[in-house]
Amino acid sequence: MRHAMRESRTVLNCVALVLFAVAVLAPKPAEAQDLAEFEERLTEFTLDNGLKFLVLERHEAPVVSFHTYADVGSVDEVKGITGLAHLFEHMAFKGTKTLGTKNYQAEVEAMARMDETFEAIKAEQRKGDRADKARLAELQKQLKEAQEEAQEYLVHDEFEEVYVREGGAGFNAYTSRDATQYIVSLPSNKTVLWMSMESERFLDPVLREFYKEKDVVMEERRLSTESRPVGRLLEEFLAIAYKAHPYGEPIVGHMSDLKTMTRAEAEAFFGKYYGPSNLMVAIVGDVNPDRMRTWAQKYFDRVPGGPKPDPVETVEPPQLGERRVVVDDPSQPFVLIGYHKPSINHSDNAVFDAITDTIGVGRTSRLYKSLVKEKKIAIVATGFPGLPGNKYPGLFLFYAVPARGHSNQECQEAIDVEIERLKTELVSPAELDKAKTRSRASLIRQLASNPGLASQLTFYEVVTGDWRNLFRQLDQIEQVTAEDIQRVAREYFVRKNRTVGVIETTAAEN
Amino acid sequence: MKGNRLSTIRVSVFFAILLCLAAPSCTQKYAGHYKELEYPKLGDVQIPEVRRVTLDNGMRLFLLEDHELPLIRVSARIRVGSIYEPADKIGLAAITGTVMRTGGTTSKTGDEIDEELEAIAASVETGIGLNSGSASMSVLKEDVDTGLSILADVLMNPAFRENKIQLAKILHRSAISRRNDNVGSIAYREYQKLIYGPDSVYARHTEYATIGNISRDDLVAFHTRYYHPNNVMLGIWGDFDTKQMIKKIEEAFEGWKKVDVQPPTVPEVRYEYRSTVNVIRKDDVNQSNIYLGHIGGLRNDPDYFALIVMNRVLGSSFTGRLFKNVRSRKGLAYSVRGNYSANYGFPGVFYVGCQTKSQSTVYAIRAMTEEVRKMTEAEVTDEELALAKESYLNSFVFNFDTKGEIVGRLMTYEYFGYPADFLQKTKENIEKVTKADVLRVAREHLRPDDVQIIAVGRPQDFDEPLSVLGPLREIDITIPVPGK
Repeated sequence: MRHAMRESRTVLNCVALVLFAVAVLAPKPAEAQDLAEFEERLTEFTLDNGLKFLVLERHEAPVVSFHTYADVGSVDEVKGITGLAHLFEHMAFKGTKTLGTKNYQAEVEAMARMDETFEAIKAEQRKGDRADKARLAELQKQLKEAQEEAQEYLVHDEFEEVYVREGGAGFNAYTSRDATQYIVSLPSNKTVLWMSMESERFLDPVLREFYKEKDVVMEERRLSTESRPVGRLLEEFLAIAYKAHPYGEPIVGHMSDLKTMTRAEAEAFFGKYYGPSNLMVAIVGDVNPDRMRTWAQKYFDRVPGGPKPDPVETVEPPQLGERRVVVDDPSQPFVLIGYHKPSINHSDNAVFDAITDTIGVGRTSRLYKSLVKEKKIAIVATGFPGLPGNKYPGLFLFYAVPARGHSNQECQEAIDVEIERLKTELVSPAELDKAKTRSRASLIRQLASNPGLASQLTFYEVVTGDWRNLFRQLDQIEQVTAEDIQRVAREYFVRKNRTVGVIETTAAEN
Repeated sequence: MKGNRLSTIRVSVFFAILLCLAAPSCTQKYAGHYKELEYPKLGDVQIPEVRRVTLDNGMRLFLLEDHELPLIRVSARIRVGSIYEPADKIGLAAITGTVMRTGGTTSKTGDEIDEELEAIAASVETGIGLNSGSASMSVLKEDVDTGLSILADVLMNPAFRENKIQLAKILHRSAISRRNDNVGSIAYREYQKLIYGPDSVYARHTEYATIGNISRDDLVAFHTRYYHPNNVMLGIWGDFDTKQMIKKIEEAFEGWKKVDVQPPTVPEVRYEYRSTVNVIRKDDVNQSNIYLGHIGGLRNDPDYFALIVMNRVLGSSFTGRLFKNVRSRKGLAYSVRGNYSANYGFPGVFYVGCQTKSQSTVYAIRAMTEEVRKMTEAEVTDEELALAKESYLNSFVFNFDTKGEIVGRLMTYEYFGYPADFLQKTKENIEKVTKADVLRVAREHLRPDDVQIIAVGRPQDFDEPLSVLGPLREIDITIPVPGK
């Protein structure tokens, strides 16, 4: 994320994902009415260039939320350019040929010099010990000078400034393994501003301050991964959970890739993945859908169309046995257990959601009851799907934070007991009912937020092919049976299919 | 200015058409630059009237109907807080707040309440913070009676069962054992202690010993002292009829009697400005977590409005000088922020902070201090002033986009003794702020030569020793273990 932590990287966000998973579960026949009511308020249209819009009217207050969902995430990177999807997200705030600059012509020349110098530095550095130190120093100096010159022409952070000045709220973006998403809310009289700004952002981006922004992203990597115990564990864990599929790579990228990445690579990435056929927009709030369509045509028709890029074709092969990684760390213990599972579009998805509710949500969930309340060996214990992503086969993740004086081993054994129970005993009708009721209520609670709705609509439309699945998920979970849960637990929650990652405390701590 | 913009649009459109005609390859339609846009006036913001009622027992209600969705929510404030707990029992307020709910009531265990609520996708939670207690309820409309009766029961009749006290203590002890794992929380915690003093009620924290000192009797006594209806404000919003709801609440809280509550006096914050340099060693990181600053202020200070503008220019958003210069221009940090915080009830802190690689620690400290100094040396520019004010005023509508925040704000104002129209007053006063005001309040409230600095990280990797900034003190964050 540009201004806060990225999606799906922290334990807290894992909790958010649990809530999310619960939310998208399911209702009773009454909810069909909700869908019907929604269909009346929702307008869909697609421009000639392939850009699709979902417009939902909600006139509670004179405000509107915009959500641009780019169907490109770190999963679309290849070795050597890890972190580029996220870095590009940062660059999408740097302006255009007419926004963020006082003199584009002069600036573009300075940027070209910067790029050349950067390539020269890389070439010299590749010589390793034989590199000419004096020449390197000279090149570094030239790079700095070119940067300083380019900065002369800048209008710093103009893109941000325009939105802030006009009353924008929640202006941000975030990158996950599956997608890159750009969000802002505005007073509803400023809707046309978004049309102008967002269309130019993807029509005509200028990747200025590229090398400085890489420094910022490297700080983000130090902050979120290298200086955070759970960040360190998660990176190690995913790296062994996947040997083929790019879900195993970190969103923020490897430090050496961040250091060596070039502006040309970022521009090529943009060219490939940011065409209108790969973008989806949701507008939710106090708007008139006809006007949205007229403005969308006026502003976004300018963006040239092109084919939708191919999805990732690599398939993660089945594991040959349990995988395990230990992070020796001065911090306190932590245990993660992941089982490979299919993508969100698999017919078992609703079953996993029901399992999540039963074992992982609230004080009556099985893991909380066993590990936290009864055995008192953990302060947090839960399980949920959604990491590393939803679009491709991901993991069903269990984790526990051991209580003081208790070990990962104890927690893992207690989690195993609960997993075995899912396989040997049918869940009770009360548990299943609770899962269904809570799903319905969670969905209703989500309908009160413009930005929340905009996010859900784009997610379901892009990842599952139809925004209506936000509601249809409810029908699916309604049909889940206790036998389904048992079958799914037996099929997926097997030792051979799992990866375990732990933090083991190295130094004697208090 | 608007007239000018309009004519610019016409001219531009004209040239654009001309260019397109002249060049057959030109397929892009001209759509206009943001500077040429014209906006209609924002539709009237309907600020709904919150119904305020005081019940016979002194409990104050704030009700707001919202019929969009079949949901009802409650948020309560109770005049209590960890500032009132004794120094040898830090954690008492927090544990009381938790176990009121988890430990059940005289008629139901906490586990029974969990089952009952979760089966209907409802929640009732309680807690006690620094200077306010909270309780919340969230239910589907049809379950409101169940929700209210449980809410009333946990507030009035908590049983504080021993097993849940033990569970709460395990959570606290585990949190203590983990408190040095995260650099960000170390830096924040220790900075608060630097500013308020390590023993201040506003900065002190739990230890194994203080948790060990807390007994069930303490919880019962703490609850008995503060939980009376005249000490409670209840905000309710959602799909209900106000009249009926008042009746329902009266019924749910029936028998709860008014009792005079006298909280102990809390020592005032007395801050002595000083400059200090402090380091905390954390070997497993490659980035320093930095805070620097001094005491902040109160919202009822007449300078508060100009300080809001000053904060916006300095760096509480991504258009501030800190973001521009420390992040965008120098690439020193992912997150850099600064704020002269004004609290409702006690002085906030002024801080500037960032995380930067170990090798740029002192450089970043200097860069941030420089931004503070600049605020006190010269007026902000016309553009900065305009941006800060316009952004506040243009986003004002977002103060009213959910019913919960409208109710919550009103309760906060009343709780801390602020006028009900404080937000409106703030807006009016911000409209009047001038460049001279901003400079005056910056000079009055910011002391760049008297800042306390804290850096958590690996000093052996710093660009320069921190001692170049002043006499260096190393803070030991070893967790004290009783009996060791």
